[in-house]
Amino acid sequence: MSTLPLNIAGERLLLYPERAVYWPARHTLVITDTHWGKASAMRAAAIPIPGGTTRESLDRLSQLIESTGSRRLVMLGDSIHARSGRSPQTLAEIAAWRSRHAALDLVLIRGNHDQSAGDPPPEIGIRCFDAPLVDAPFVYRHWPKGSEEGYTLSGHLHPAIRLRGRAAESAKLACFWFGPSVGVLPAFGGLTGTAIIHPNPGDRICAIAGDEIIPIRY
Amino acid sequence: MNPVSPFFKAKKWKPFAFQQEVWQAYRKGESGLIHAATGTGKTLAAWLGPVIEWMDGDGEANPPLRVLWITPLRALVADTEKSLQAPLTALDIPWTLSARTGDTKPSLRAKQNRRLPTALVTTPESLALFLANENASDRFKDLRMIVVDEWHELLGSKRGVMTELLLARLRRISPEVCTWGLSATLGNIDVAMETLLGSRKGKLVRGLVPKSVVIDSLIPPTMERFPWAGHLGVNMLPQVLDAIEEGRTTLVFTNTRSQTEIWYQAILDARPDWAGLVALHHGSLDRKTRDWVEDGLREGTLRCVVCTSSLDLGVDFTPVDRVIQIGSPKGIARLLQRAGRSGHRPGVPSRVTCAPTHAFELVEVAAARDAYYLGAIEGRDPIVCPLDLLSQHLVTIALSGGFVSDDLLAEVRSTYAYRSLTDQEWDWTLDFVSRGGEALRAYPEYSRVVFHEGMYRVMNKQIARRHILSIGTITGDSTIDVRYLTGGRLGSVEETFIARLRSGDRFVFAGKTLEFVRVRDMTAWVRRSRKTGGEIPRWDGSRMALSGELARAVRARLEAARTGIFLDAEMEAVRPVLETQAAISAIPALDEFLIERVKTGEGHHLFLYPFEGRLVHEGIAALVAYRMSRLRSITFSMAFNDYGFELLSAEPAPIEEALAAGLLSPTNLALDIPASLNAAEMARRQFREIARVAGLTFSGYPGQNKTVRQIQASSSLLFDVFMQYDRGNLLVDQAHREVLERQLEKSRMGRTLERLSSSIIKILDIQRPSPLAFPLLIDRTRTRVSSEKLADRVRRMTAGFDR
Repeated sequence: MSTLPLNIAGERLLLYPERAVYWPARHTLVITDTHWGKASAMRAAAIPIPGGTTRESLDRLSQLIESTGSRRLVMLGDSIHARSGRSPQTLAEIAAWRSRHAALDLVLIRGNHDQSAGDPPPEIGIRCFDAPLVDAPFVYRHWPKGSEEGYTLSGHLHPAIRLRGRAAESAKLACFWFGPSVGVLPAFGGLTGTAIIHPNPGDRICAIAGDEIIPIRY
Repeated sequence: MNPVSPFFKAKKWKPFAFQQEVWQAYRKGESGLIHAATGTGKTLAAWLGPVIEWMDGDGEANPPLRVLWITPLRALVADTEKSLQAPLTALDIPWTLSARTGDTKPSLRAKQNRRLPTALVTTPESLALFLANENASDRFKDLRMIVVDEWHELLGSKRGVMTELLLARLRRISPEVCTWGLSATLGNIDVAMETLLGSRKGKLVRGLVPKSVVIDSLIPPTMERFPWAGHLGVNMLPQVLDAIEEGRTTLVFTNTRSQTEIWYQAILDARPDWAGLVALHHGSLDRKTRDWVEDGLREGTLRCVVCTSSLDLGVDFTPVDRVIQIGSPKGIARLLQRAGRSGHRPGVPSRVTCAPTHAFELVEVAAARDAYYLGAIEGRDPIVCPLDLLSQHLVTIALSGGFVSDDLLAEVRSTYAYRSLTDQEWDWTLDFVSRGGEALRAYPEYSRVVFHEGMYRVMNKQIARRHILSIGTITGDSTIDVRYLTGGRLGSVEETFIARLRSGDRFVFAGKTLEFVRVRDMTAWVRRSRKTGGEIPRWDGSRMALSGELARAVRARLEAARTGIFLDAEMEAVRPVLETQAAISAIPALDEFLIERVKTGEGHHLFLYPFEGRLVHEGIAALVAYRMSRLRSITFSMAFNDYGFELLSAEPAPIEEALAAGLLSPTNLALDIPASLNAAEMARRQFREIARVAGLTFSGYPGQNKTVRQIQASSSLLFDVFMQYDRGNLLVDQAHREVLERQLEKSRMGRTLERLSSSIIKILDIQRPSPLAFPLLIDRTRTRVSSEKLADRVRRMTAGFDR
């Protein structure tokens, strides 16, 4: 895996093209917007989406946890997509994934989807919080919003950047977006869309191009 | 003595022979297709058959539904009702007649639901809703005649296939029913009839010999200042104003809704004294606005209406005496149809005057005239076997009380579209709508249509409701309403356009400059802007391609010009531009394939000119780019128009090497074409429509709640999911097939490649872009093919990006 080290709020973070941030000093992996069970919710509404997307996201997460040696996973909200997505398969897949990482400390900052979908089942051992949660120098939130208590790490936006270049080149890429006091992570889930962001001068954008991360300074 | 004679006498008309022929054929129980230009009496030919039958025979008081009149556009309904009512009133016939569309008032709906009128005017979508109802068979059992108006308009679209399926259903409910289609003349009129009648035989009736049509042009006074490229140029405004001045009522046709807005504004700016006498009309405007415009046209109170194809069809605007076409005519049939809007009376000649928006369009006008004299009218190819539409239909029929598989299969196979539907395709579709297909076997939460007591039915009310809302969303991208904050609806625009706006941005719509405030509840809220000017929405899918017939005629005109023959005012006028083309580059001979190469600050450009229309060029561009990209790691951005295409790259393209390696060779096409479609993401784009029709995505509805938004995903995401987890999905297959067959006109692409590969290839290095290259050079709508690693492309894009 090719990672990109980045200094944020005086801490060294590693950005992964698998759409995660690792904070080595605290052995903490941070992800957001997994939207587990979205395909299930769509199937329940009679839209024929094949399975596999939740499993793919869980497998990708396992690999990250194992390769980084994470002791803690912080999820910045929108873990389960919808109440109707809590199908037996989805919950079984999540439980199976959890049992692979039994020692992992699992933290969820509730997002808007969690409010209607409900927290993941308590059996998987997850600590759920309403934002903000302070882990100095960082503050975890779902909504990207500044805080006096530290630098905010957040999700919700599913950020992507539109790049243009010579010869009429153009590409839209999911990205990490770090402003002066708030950072936004890309959505982790596979069946999630993106929204184009309009960064301010000085913001740091790290675009995900396949298996690489490319920093762009605005 | 014919019982309808008094009606004709009162009008001082005489029935035409072809009308009598249809009346007699109907009485013998025959079906068929009547084709003729508009305004030649096709409506009465179809309509009076059952009327005469009633007068001659039973005279049943207050008869139940006998005639179903299907029209492709809601806009035509009111007018159709009027022309059907006229003879009923004149002959004092006590039939009831009413229309049913999405606009029908609830009180009339309720009345119709209790008892249908003797004759019902409706659209395919509204008919589908009738047939999704449990008592459909009861309501339609006395039906004697179905008329499909403007069949040429439906043919060749998925709505046409939908109509075929509905006709098959009606024929099953009422086996004796006759079907008659009304159509403009087409190059493949026999196929048009077969498609309409399915497995039944019919009679082809030719209406009046077409009126003579005059095709001429407004010639720009000077050619030098004439924009080579401007798609939107209004340089011809003074001449257009003069032409409007000459006529009493003028229709100004444009090719896109955006052009309509631009020309309307330009005309009003130039002639403020015409305020109130000039109007605009296009499909995105609010119904009320359109009705007002149409009434004004009928009554002759408007001086000029700027419009799109929304006024191509049927409606009778007798006062219109002048038709102007802005920009390329694109096809001969289309131009003739528009010409027919003037002098909308039998025997009065039609005239259309073309106002070019760039110089080469003058060549197209001259070529269109040639093709008209030669009788080279385009055909319309019907769509065959779309499984997205079949799955939609299965749910519709499941809603109407359910179906038995074998029965419905036989019914579906009686249509032209599905006559070769295989058992395997049928089983797949049935499985897809009931259990979600192979890939969903393991997911019991999924069920749409359920098998219950031997029948396939829909049991869930939510599913039924969503399905009913999604019928009728076959065409068009997801749009949202535009409303004033103070209330009042202006119309609707593409969601993708609104998504780009930020609060405070100005845009022009419905002839007004608006300030965007916010989006809420599927509505874009706006207020009037005090400033004028602003961005004009670009509607997707409005880019029509030059037809094969017209493209051929254009090549012939260019060949003549190359040898120094400039016949007609148009060719004389475009002569300086063609001579510039010859001086900078060359005018290709009929047996040559011209490729221009030029370097600019942007990069290395290749311009290739097959002259086959933009759809074919899109496919060939993807293929050529794909084949070159396999020789070396390179990224192309591509632009296409009706004459050719451009491949732009940061590094020089290996064109000579590629030609030597068989760039245009027909070998391996079977593999290379699908690969190039994927490379250019064309199948992914086509999947948008398929996903919508098959009910995978839906645009939601006003006041939708969170649960609806939770089950929305973009078709592009779904395409990826299917590609990754369900390779056997036939809808993904269909996306590939549709790109090939429809979008790329596969056979035309094959023929074009043959022609090009046997041509003399002429590569010219030029110092500056030629007149032919210029429009491509400035086109910003681009697709890409790349064999480079994404990260490398991104690094190049971000080099020098730091700011």
